[in-house]
Amino acid sequence: MKLLKPTWVNHNGKPIFSVDIHPDGTKFATGGQGQDSGKVVIWNMSPVLQEDDEKDENIPKMLCQMDNHLACVNCVRWSNSGMYLASGGDDKLIMVWKRATYIGPSTVFGSSGKLANVEQWRCVSILRNHSGDVMDVAWSPHDAWLASCSVDNTVVIWNAVKFPEILATLRGHSGLVKGLTWDPVGKYIASQADDRSLKVWRTLDWQLETSITKPFDECGGTTHVLRLSWSPDGHYLVSAHAMNNSGPTAQIIEREGWKTNMDFVGHRKAVTVVKFNPKIFKKKQKNGSSAKPSCPYCCCAVGSKDRSLSVWLTCLKRPLVVIHELFDKSIMDISWTLNGLGILVCSMDGSVAFLDFSQDELGDPLSEEEKSRIHQSTYGKSLAIMTEAQLSTAVIENPEMLKYQRRQQQQQLDQKSAATREMGSATSVAGVVNGESLEDIRKNLLKKQVETRTADGRRRITPLCIAQLDTGSPQLLPLDSSTPNSFGASKPCTEPVVAASARPAGDSVNKDSMNATSTPAALSPSVLTTPSKIEPMKAFDSRFTERSKATPGAPALTSMTPTAVERLKEQNLVKELRPRDLLESSSDSDEKVPLAKASSLSKRKLELEVETVEKKKKGRPRKDSRLMPVSLSVQSPAALTAEKEAMCLSAPALALKLPIPSPQRAFTLQVSSDPSMYIEVENEVTVVGGVKLSRLKCNREGKEWETVLTSRILTAAGSCDVVCVACEKRMLSVFSTCGRRLLSPILLPSPISTLHCTGSYVMALTAAATLSVWDVHRQVVVVKEESLHSILAGSDMTVSQILLTQHGIPVMNLSDGKAYCFNPSLSTWNLVSDKQDSLAQCADFRSSLPSQDAMLCSGPLAIIQGRTSNSGRQAARLFSVPHVVQQETTLAYLENQVAAALTLQSSHEYRHWLLVYARYLVNEGFEYRLREICKDLLGPVHYSTGSQWESTVVGLRKRELLKELLPVIGQNLRFQRLFTECQEQLDILRDK
Amino acid sequence: MAKVSVLNVAVLENPSPFHSPFRFEISFECSEALADDLEWKIIYVGSAESEEFDQILDSVLVGPVPAGRHMFVFQADAPNPSLIPETDAVGVTVVLITCTYHGQEFIRVGYYVNNEYLNPELRENPPMKPDFSQRNILASNPRVTRFHINWDNNMDRLEAIETQDPSLGCGLPLNCTPIKGLGLPGCIPGLLPENSMDCI
Repeated sequence: MKLLKPTWVNHNGKPIFSVDIHPDGTKFATGGQGQDSGKVVIWNMSPVLQEDDEKDENIPKMLCQMDNHLACVNCVRWSNSGMYLASGGDDKLIMVWKRATYIGPSTVFGSSGKLANVEQWRCVSILRNHSGDVMDVAWSPHDAWLASCSVDNTVVIWNAVKFPEILATLRGHSGLVKGLTWDPVGKYIASQADDRSLKVWRTLDWQLETSITKPFDECGGTTHVLRLSWSPDGHYLVSAHAMNNSGPTAQIIEREGWKTNMDFVGHRKAVTVVKFNPKIFKKKQKNGSSAKPSCPYCCCAVGSKDRSLSVWLTCLKRPLVVIHELFDKSIMDISWTLNGLGILVCSMDGSVAFLDFSQDELGDPLSEEEKSRIHQSTYGKSLAIMTEAQLSTAVIENPEMLKYQRRQQQQQLDQKSAATREMGSATSVAGVVNGESLEDIRKNLLKKQVETRTADGRRRITPLCIAQLDTGSPQLLPLDSSTPNSFGASKPCTEPVVAASARPAGDSVNKDSMNATSTPAALSPSVLTTPSKIEPMKAFDSRFTERSKATPGAPALTSMTPTAVERLKEQNLVKELRPRDLLESSSDSDEKVPLAKASSLSKRKLELEVETVEKKKKGRPRKDSRLMPVSLSVQSPAALTAEKEAMCLSAPALALKLPIPSPQRAFTLQVSSDPSMYIEVENEVTVVGGVKLSRLKCNREGKEWETVLTSRILTAAGSCDVVCVACEKRMLSVFSTCGRRLLSPILLPSPISTLHCTGSYVMALTAAATLSVWDVHRQVVVVKEESLHSILAGSDMTVSQILLTQHGIPVMNLSDGKAYCFNPSLSTWNLVSDKQDSLAQCADFRSSLPSQDAMLCSGPLAIIQGRTSNSGRQAARLFSVPHVVQQETTLAYLENQVAAALTLQSSHEYRHWLLVYARYLVNEGFEYRLREICKDLLGPVHYSTGSQWESTVVGLRKRELLKELLPVIGQNLRFQRLFTECQEQLDILRDK
Repeated sequence: MAKVSVLNVAVLENPSPFHSPFRFEISFECSEALADDLEWKIIYVGSAESEEFDQILDSVLVGPVPAGRHMFVFQADAPNPSLIPETDAVGVTVVLITCTYHGQEFIRVGYYVNNEYLNPELRENPPMKPDFSQRNILASNPRVTRFHINWDNNMDRLEAIETQDPSLGCGLPLNCTPIKGLGLPGCIPGLLPENSMDCI
């Protein structure tokens, strides 16, 4: 072990409260007290690691310092991706930093150092919520959440994807919360507080899992921080300051039952910080020693108020090393390098120490793959099911696979090079605005700058924009919700975007300092040193900091400009609109939003595949309200009263009776809005000679036709292909779009209840609860007088919605949330959706979804099911159920979806769910099912007459589907054999 | 955090004769577009002993300010010598550049200014009636004080006041006297510096 104290890492003697090494190991951040402010400094790691680099003056040591925190910084933490740095301080704020690549070095104006910042780190989010000092912050595994804890006794969970959204505030501590740690698999978060308790919270519902108090009962006095840590294998949680037999310890808490039987003993004062090595180790295999594999173990560093540091291996009873008097004051924070061999320790005394271990001392670190295997075996689905590292170790056996992988890499490279090209071009124009160098601009700035007079005669200068900001990723963009369009607003003012050069600031500083040095005489020491003159200097000092009193500002103190108001309004509007939009397009059947009111866009989308008839007591979204009272409450009469319930058992099911629309004088029915089409019905129009006829009028995009019928029209329906009307005397007539009668009147077995058309399909539901569907063009029956008895029997369920798909498949949505479709080829009612389906609640296939847009896959299935499964997915994501169970439910759910889409003959949705299913199988490594799918899609390669194989499914060519599946399969090297087989056979088929 | 941070102030034409105008080239960065203009002021401190002799040389509105880096030159006429006490005419004084947003000052940049005679003879024996000659701004050593203000609109400001820790107000390292003559009591709490940063 080597020990180094790099003296150049300091905050000018001020305490350093936190240290964190960047995941890529090239830099580290420190946080602490600055001059009258908090300070975050980013340092270069290589001068710590290599002596040569330390001596090389061309290698910068400090990369960036940020003085933006208003008070002491207690914690700095890099996100796991290394993209962001979060810092929390006594100013109650958490700032999230991101590196800005567009500007070169600059200085903090007015700071004494004149040190250039080599890297630019920009604050992209400020998180305000805590009412007291922020003591610790922690990124969750995979950077989904950021947790912060504070002396306000709370822990706040921020949505790291959408700052500054707060997902939860964990209340329960009755003292200052001083430390946080996430469970490595993301199921828990633990916090330790001054209230002598350590609490473990579930990430599933953000509720308290357990509160551990016993080891802390004896704890007296306070430490500045209580940084606890979770072991990388997830088995142990180790607390900061605990007591055992009046000696300070670090308590080991087992995940299994939260038992507290072990502790790290030996420190003479309270333990302030515990930090587990990110690696899991195994014994170094020595030549000649027994080859039997030893149990993997973890490594943990413990820092204390007694200024000493101890490093422990969980396989040893005694510490691996103890370093006494490492600092002059308490240890405040510890950070391991990602390779697990180095640690940085910082202290209240303002210094930092670096320890460098060798593999001989710690052991062989397990690879990420092995680590993930441990996680997987313990907790099920690991966080990293297939890491890059794992992929690179697998041998690629097939040139096709290799090609595929290469192509992917090439794509990534292309993207990267495109990005760098952009950057390159940006830097090439650096320092030039409109072809002028910044120097030129500066020379003429006074002449060129636009100066106007405001209405009240004041001078107003329009500043010259010399660079725009890249605020980084769009998700993190909004610093403050009040100006969401700041980006857009910034654009109009500037001509071609220009990256600022590094020079202006540095240059002017140089010049200034030269000026200063060239005029030492002018500064006349006599003036500055004469005692009598020192007095006014002091007076000046106060003047520098004092507020301007004599100068009342512009009268417009609080007035908002109209634009600001406008902007606010817009925002509100947008906010209001959003949810409604969502509702509309989702057309959730629970949602009582009448379809006709839906935005024309979503409506159009719906009409592509199905037309829906909403059956509600509230009424239909039709123009004419007289058609309203068609509540389709199908009730077995017995269900009406309790008395009759008994009868129900004996009553034959035929007793089902659906309501019949009552005859009306006239009504209008809007068939569609785009193209605009409506049907008008006028009953009993007296024609010459006292003959009463009914008139049917249809208007389609201005073209009108009309016809007459001899009996009163009860209900009408239309699609873009047909118009049909049901009349009294159980007659059903069907007309073409131009009003030509297509069939002689059909005699229904019982009076009509509901009539519906989609495309050339006509569906009639009769009062006796029988359902028929005909294809008018082909003049065939699709569903013949099928009774609804089997789906409605027994209970007082009602049909809440009826759909008829483009393929003439009728779907009944029932009031209990179930939806059945009739499968004409099997003559069965099939359950296609169930709102109470517990599978949907547990299924988690988020990782297998292709992309956001594809999630919005529309079709009859989506309409029937609505978007209900979101919450379930959310919950499942948090490992709410044991992994195996979750896998099973997910598989079952996805299979249901594929089958339902197939039954509904919705090819688009079938393809979507099949791909999701396949992707899930690939991700989770289910080979048999995947193979079966591939086999079915591929079919027999060599033609045989006896083959039952169909080459298409719901109108999709199976082999085309397989081609789509192949890249998915190729993503997991484990399936490279399958990939190869399919690829080869497809090639054979193609060559035929 | 401040939406506007001053990156640099370059003192142009320095040293220069006393009667020539002040010129500062100010570059600043704005993290998000501002709804209103910034107001910049140059204040010349006539005498260290009393604010009576402060002269606002000029005040100017700067806007619109979208997100990004910007620069402008702030030029202001030289102070009126007749308003400067004779005893303070020669020697060290201060010029301040302040910037306010919504009437709240968030940055103050101070420079020492040395007024002196170029002529060594005059230096030895300054005339009874001071003759203003050369002004030299100690440009290399600005004293920057930053104040925490509320950058958001009115509603937010009220909330900010509510959530402020009352203890903050008393433990201030700054000498901040109540603001006189501002006539807008509502904004005084917002003007109290929550903290300041003096970087010298």
